[in-house]
Amino acid sequence: MNVTLKIRDFDDPTFDPFTVFDDSFGRHVDSPYPELAELGKQARVHPHEYRTLFGLAPDVTTADMPHFTVLGYELVQQIYSHPQIYSNKIFERMLGPGFGRTVTTMDAPEHTRYRRLFQQAFMPNVIARWGDGIVQPVADELVGSFMARGSADLVKEFTSLYPFHIIYRQLGLPPDDRQIFHKLAVALTVAGTNVEKAMEASAKLGAYYGALTEMRYERPGDDLVSLLTKIEVEGERLPKEILISFLRQLINAAGDTTYRATSNLLVALLTHPEQLDAVRRDRSLIPQAIDETLRWECIVMTGFRMALQDTELDGVRIPAGSAVEAVNGSANRDASRYSDPGRFDIFRKATSRHMAFAYGAHVCIGQHLARLEMTRALNSMLDRLPNLRLDPDMPPPRIFGCTMRHPEHIYVKFDA
Amino acid sequence: MKTWLCQQCGWIYDETKGDPLGGIPPGTRWADVPDSWTCPDCGSGKSDFEMVEI
Repeated sequence: MNVTLKIRDFDDPTFDPFTVFDDSFGRHVDSPYPELAELGKQARVHPHEYRTLFGLAPDVTTADMPHFTVLGYELVQQIYSHPQIYSNKIFERMLGPGFGRTVTTMDAPEHTRYRRLFQQAFMPNVIARWGDGIVQPVADELVGSFMARGSADLVKEFTSLYPFHIIYRQLGLPPDDRQIFHKLAVALTVAGTNVEKAMEASAKLGAYYGALTEMRYERPGDDLVSLLTKIEVEGERLPKEILISFLRQLINAAGDTTYRATSNLLVALLTHPEQLDAVRRDRSLIPQAIDETLRWECIVMTGFRMALQDTELDGVRIPAGSAVEAVNGSANRDASRYSDPGRFDIFRKATSRHMAFAYGAHVCIGQHLARLEMTRALNSMLDRLPNLRLDPDMPPPRIFGCTMRHPEHIYVKFDA
Repeated sequence: MKTWLCQQCGWIYDETKGDPLGGIPPGTRWADVPDSWTCPDCGSGKSDFEMVEI
């Protein structure tokens, strides 16, 4: 079959989901940590929706549910460790209209079966092959586009493009249509404010990925979709509907998070030049620089769950059907787990694993790819941008947001 | 020294590194890791791990 697939744009191609998305995570919040520390002194469980604590409008998809915001390492871990009480079914309403039936919306035993299948494509030994074939060429191309200039905005010219270009290549999406894919993918996440657009994007991406999947079943290549169509564990393969939903989620899951994490890594090191120098001299420090960044400036600040039964958390009664938000960022800055938790220190003695990728059955499926991408990005810059430093003539980077955190610009100079 | 891969999340148990935060010192062979130990990332048990060459 020789068919050229074409993605369809929104019926109203002027619709801009990016602004809606950017505004939804709390642009006005410089840092949520002082507020969280203050709240933590009063209680660890608060009967409020997290985003409303910072003046944001409630999520319309959970408006009929009681809400609880949960702080501190111990309780966050407790929530993630008890999926039989704290269920992922809440995502059926939050993400379902856009993504469909993804593993994020499932509980065991269904989740366990499908997660095991998807994970095969994201094992460390599998993604290592993508490192040379896809990740490094993208990093080299992007750095190469500005390395002769001696200055750059690393967000606009690198991090905001980097993981998206990687996932487009992994999926084999046509270069001319990438902006439409990105726009549709972002619209999937704004179901909380515009469910019509989310459903339109879902239908259009679903039609494209459905046809693409059919083509890969018939004529597999070396791309990620082909790999996912072939994966088999104990005689079971991924149903087409589940695979299409996963593909819908992929651009957001692999792009929006790693874009921010890579940005925050660069900010962390550039604003701590002595630690940047240490990493520049000894690249074996990169893994601990990545983990300290993820702890210090967690990308996804909260994890949602729904209480399946009446329960109690730290003495607070949680009725069945409540939305429970585990604040990953608060766990990562819990002073009982990390000394001086607001300090960025790549030489910090490891005392607790951070919660940036959550914990338990739903721990981030793409964390190994995220680490690989961040490692390659940093190595590329340190190798090819000598004397990389913040541009003293431009505004310093500002990490902001209360539900997701990242900088809008990172202005740098280097020896061209 | 060998490595074992969690089939649920991809976390790697490397016998040379152990899992110090989980109470398993570096150099602990897989056979000596107690059955009560769980994957530090996803909470799966030892039976969900398979030996791999990394």
